[in-house]
Amino acid sequence: MTESHLFKNWFVIRRDLPPSRRLLLTCISFLLPIALWCFVSYVPWIWHPDIKIELSAEREGVTTVFTAGDHVSKGFFPEFVEAVRKDNAVVLAARAAGTSEPGAKRKNQKLLRQLAPLAVSHDWLPYTEAQNDAVLYTLWRDIATGKKVTKRPSLTPENLDVVRKNWALLAAASAEFSFAKLPDTSLLKLIPQGKPANPIYLPAPDEVIRTGIRDFTAKVPEGELTMGDRYKRSLQVIFLGFLWACLVGIPIGILCGVFDFFSKLFEPFVDFFRYMPAPTFSTLLVAILLAGDAPKIALVFIGTVFQLILVVSKTTRLLDPSLLEAAQTLGAKPRQMITHVVIPGILPNLYNDLRILLGWAWTWLVIAELIGVKSGLTEFIETQGRFRNFDRVFPVIILIGVTGFVMDQILSWLHGIFFPWAGTSSSFTRNLIRILRWPVKMISRSNPATP
Amino acid sequence: MKTDPLLPDYREQTPEVAARFARLVKRPVALEVSGLTKRFETPRGIVTALDDVSFSVHKRELLSVIGPSGCGKSTLVRILAGLETPSGGEVKVYGEPVSGPGPDRGMVFQGYTLFPWRTVKENVMFGPRMAGTSAFTADSEAREWIELVGLSKFENAYPHQLSGGMKQRVAIARALANQPRVLFMDEPFGALDAQTRCQMQSYLLEIWKNVDITIVFITHDLDEAVFLSDRILVLDANPGRVREVVEVPVPRPRSTEQLFDPSFLGVRKHIDNLIHPPGQEQKEAPVLRMAVADPDVV
Repeated sequence: MTESHLFKNWFVIRRDLPPSRRLLLTCISFLLPIALWCFVSYVPWIWHPDIKIELSAEREGVTTVFTAGDHVSKGFFPEFVEAVRKDNAVVLAARAAGTSEPGAKRKNQKLLRQLAPLAVSHDWLPYTEAQNDAVLYTLWRDIATGKKVTKRPSLTPENLDVVRKNWALLAAASAEFSFAKLPDTSLLKLIPQGKPANPIYLPAPDEVIRTGIRDFTAKVPEGELTMGDRYKRSLQVIFLGFLWACLVGIPIGILCGVFDFFSKLFEPFVDFFRYMPAPTFSTLLVAILLAGDAPKIALVFIGTVFQLILVVSKTTRLLDPSLLEAAQTLGAKPRQMITHVVIPGILPNLYNDLRILLGWAWTWLVIAELIGVKSGLTEFIETQGRFRNFDRVFPVIILIGVTGFVMDQILSWLHGIFFPWAGTSSSFTRNLIRILRWPVKMISRSNPATP
Repeated sequence: MKTDPLLPDYREQTPEVAARFARLVKRPVALEVSGLTKRFETPRGIVTALDDVSFSVHKRELLSVIGPSGCGKSTLVRILAGLETPSGGEVKVYGEPVSGPGPDRGMVFQGYTLFPWRTVKENVMFGPRMAGTSAFTADSEAREWIELVGLSKFENAYPHQLSGGMKQRVAIARALANQPRVLFMDEPFGALDAQTRCQMQSYLLEIWKNVDITIVFITHDLDEAVFLSDRILVLDANPGRVREVVEVPVPRPRSTEQLFDPSFLGVRKHIDNLIHPPGQEQKEAPVLRMAVADPDVV
């Protein structure tokens, strides 16, 4: 394709694009949402309606406590900062007036721990030691004297000033931490610091990937479930439910499609029943089938089988009736017409129906796993979602999506192998079939079948 | 019926042709249709598609049924094949009354109706296999039928890989493999292009020569009917009635060169007059406002 044609012929009504362009567009269709996600996450002035607090402070007379890592709205954050500054002004005023405060020591001890999140994020302190006052005390000293420099996040000049002023007081009292020797006048609070952030429900891609890898590879204590176990359990529920639905639904569907008798006998009720949402039977199913996977499988079954019967009967009816007439004139008996004409004739369409219904089954899976004793991947999503650990929820959601998609792609490719006569197989598939069939052909040629 | 003065009377037969017809009527009757009537109930009332249709076909005869569109040709053949039940009348095959479809009456449809999931050979094997013939016997027989229609190279191809003409040859082989006593063909070449249709007609005559089969051929193509048939059953429309059974005076073996023989044209003209009576020719088109007068285009 020459340069001049690069921008031409992209929009042609009802005409296929060349394969290279189709491939490109397929890639873009996946890259586009990911790029959008990255764009929203990493370009600071896009959206970012929240402030993620990096350094927090308690306010006087306010019970709501924010700790580092919390999200507050952009509008509220300056208010928060102002309140803390006001508290500091009150402290300075009291100090100037010379009034002493009861309980100042306890308050000061707590105030010294304001630096803890900073210490943890700089690896100066393991997060389990966040209340190690002795180390934190030295940290105040080191930051005030400039021995340690904060980088992520770095303290604002205002806060550095607070640190120095506080250290001046502290150093005068004692070089090491001792509760008794803490000053009796209140220290100044560090002013809250934060950075713009997206809402907690939209973690950045790198966070999702990192927690995803961590969760999927994590070793869990004995008796707890790994992500692999959960995944296996989910797949089990969906496949058993779907299998039962197929075993029951396909024969009934075919009978309904072939015989008006069965169609009128089954379809009206099926049509009615499918409007009753499967989840409404959840408590009933648990009562009947008790805990474990049985009620879950039953829910997937109920959610799928009624649709399946209707879809299969419709597909059966779509079979070209002239094929049946041809078979009749060739002497086929009714039973032979079903086994030799109807079933082989509808198979490719039936296969595609089942592909679509497997997608349905996935939606029921999530609900099925919530009933009775929560289980599988959904239990993880539920639990982590409740703790607002959305960076742990996303990888699981994506896993379900990828599983469904990959399975569908594989099944769609297999369609060409199973049904070469449908004319949808690619040349690659056709050659593969030829190779696979070769030994069968050789055997049947060398060994004429006995009558 | 008056015929074209420039063409010979269709009733004039050469001695050979006359002798042939004399021998033909002495053969056993393969298919006997008597008083066949078909009425459909529609919201507008009862429509009579076929009204008291009677005719008979002798063994190894090739009879065409022709008529204006809507004359019930297809309904007739579907009743004969047992795919529809008549409102009245009787169909007998070699003296035995029949109802419902059966392997004794083969059918070739306009729309090929090959089983797409079966290869050419498997399609041809279908009838015998349904009748319980072993796979081995059916297989070797199928190969012979496929060879007869000249598709040996394609015996393992699927229908979607074949052209329209090839598909119809497979359909013929499939119908013949059942060794029916009568073969019905419902406008079998109607969906093919003119050239292929012409080829297929010659093929059909070739096959017919080699196989012991009686054929009832439905068509709306005059040339096709005359070229193929011994006799032509001309139907009237609304309701479908037998207008006339015309003996084709064109000698056999037939070839495409006979298409312009006087005897061919004579009988063709006669049937054309039957289907499109001369008095009822299309009225002149009204002169429209945007009409352009051009003396060379008239």
